[in-house]
Amino acid sequence: MTDNKNYEDRLESLMNQLAESVLGLSDEAILAETFEAGADPQQEAERTRLVLRQASKAFDNVNNRLSNLGHAINPNDWRCEQWGYHNNCLNCGSSVSLTTTTGEMRGEALDGLCPESDQYTIRKREASRR
Amino acid sequence: MSHLLPFIDTRLQFETTHEPPSLPEPQLPPTKNINASTKTALLVENDESLLSFLRSFLKNDGYAVRTAKNSEEGLRLYRDCAPFNVVLINYCVPPSNAVGIDYLAPQQPHGIGLAIAIRQINPSQGIIIAALAYRNAGEVPRPPELMHIPFITEARNSQLRGLLEKIEIDRMIEMLTTKDWLKLQKFADFRVRGLGGAARGRTGEDLLGDALLRTLIGAESTQKGRHWNKDVDFVWHLTGAMRSISTCWKRQFKETEPHLISEFPVHDAGEEHSLLDSLASQHAAADQRLIEQDEEDRVLAMFKHDPEATQVLQGLLDGLKKNAIMPRYGLDERRYAATVRRIRVKLLDRRNGVDRGDDHDR
Repeated sequence: MTDNKNYEDRLESLMNQLAESVLGLSDEAILAETFEAGADPQQEAERTRLVLRQASKAFDNVNNRLSNLGHAINPNDWRCEQWGYHNNCLNCGSSVSLTTTTGEMRGEALDGLCPESDQYTIRKREASRR
Repeated sequence: MSHLLPFIDTRLQFETTHEPPSLPEPQLPPTKNINASTKTALLVENDESLLSFLRSFLKNDGYAVRTAKNSEEGLRLYRDCAPFNVVLINYCVPPSNAVGIDYLAPQQPHGIGLAIAIRQINPSQGIIIAALAYRNAGEVPRPPELMHIPFITEARNSQLRGLLEKIEIDRMIEMLTTKDWLKLQKFADFRVRGLGGAARGRTGEDLLGDALLRTLIGAESTQKGRHWNKDVDFVWHLTGAMRSISTCWKRQFKETEPHLISEFPVHDAGEEHSLLDSLASQHAAADQRLIEQDEEDRVLAMFKHDPEATQVLQGLLDGLKKNAIMPRYGLDERRYAATVRRIRVKLLDRRNGVDRGDDHDR
């Protein structure tokens, strides 16, 4: 231990400052560094883009799925837990969880229609009138 | 569809529902030139009251709005003025010959046909379909190719705003450049490596994915997640989210880290204490400390033949900033930058055994 700091704080201090230093790099510098580090910049960028696309799609999928099953969730109620993000249907209380990296979603809310929802009481009158 | 307007939870609704449809709308800000505006929307809606509400909503949210009252007009406008940030279509919009002939099955609603036609022109076009005659999105018939398009069954401000933000975020993801992605990736990798054991096997990709998810939650609700202020650069926003998430991961880890046997309180005779009854340790567990020490030694060993890099590393490990490190080791700006560059490249070089997928599992 040096300077009254333990090893975990020292490592964190080093890596966080290196992280910050990346943000000030010019476009040319970041490309050159990636290449020098033995990676293809285009492939690396595409790989990272896919991570965010996947996270976005996972979020869409869980919302669409819940909506299609008649469940209603409060977007304020998403909470971060051990296994990804967690929420509950406002109507029936069943749970749903989502993890972004794999896009995996689980929970009984995804197993079937919300029993408390008035789903399929279809108000076709408006649609058929047109 | 105007009978559905009572569902609309906005003050503007009441201002507009009593307004004769044919009158001009002097209270609204003038429509911006669609080509000069930063955000543009195409609104295809035939119901006057709903059209008025949605147009007001979009304008108040900073969009320059084009409107069409049937799918044929909508498609023509789209072809003439695309791309738009968002296209909002009434599910039951009146028919259009052009769309009907080319794309529609006879029984398919024309709003659906228009959405399909637009997606064929631009597969990534953000579209929202308003199907207010239905109680929820699950009951709205739609073809498989539109399963991922958001449907709204109520014209609620919060839901609309959340969907518009989601579309904007997706658009930003597509607009980021290669350099932006590389910065985000390296930033995330370093932040996770700095967590040591607190990363619990997570990678930089996990951190970045989490930052986006919190942004998406923040799009629906400004009370939770991390709301993206559009005045802030998106890369800047995501790095800010990653800082706070990684700090949170570390705090959670500290709260739940295991105890040393020696840290347990002395028990009274005959009285048993559960391990869970005791408070979390204020000190890292011994094995954890060894892991961190080992990682520090490993990093320093990588630069044992580079005295300047070793000096800068020591300074950074001690928590010193650039302005303190440079005079301490007699480095000028150029030499300091070159040294930090060597450190970055070597630490992220996969040929040195670094792989984002598994280096935190060691």
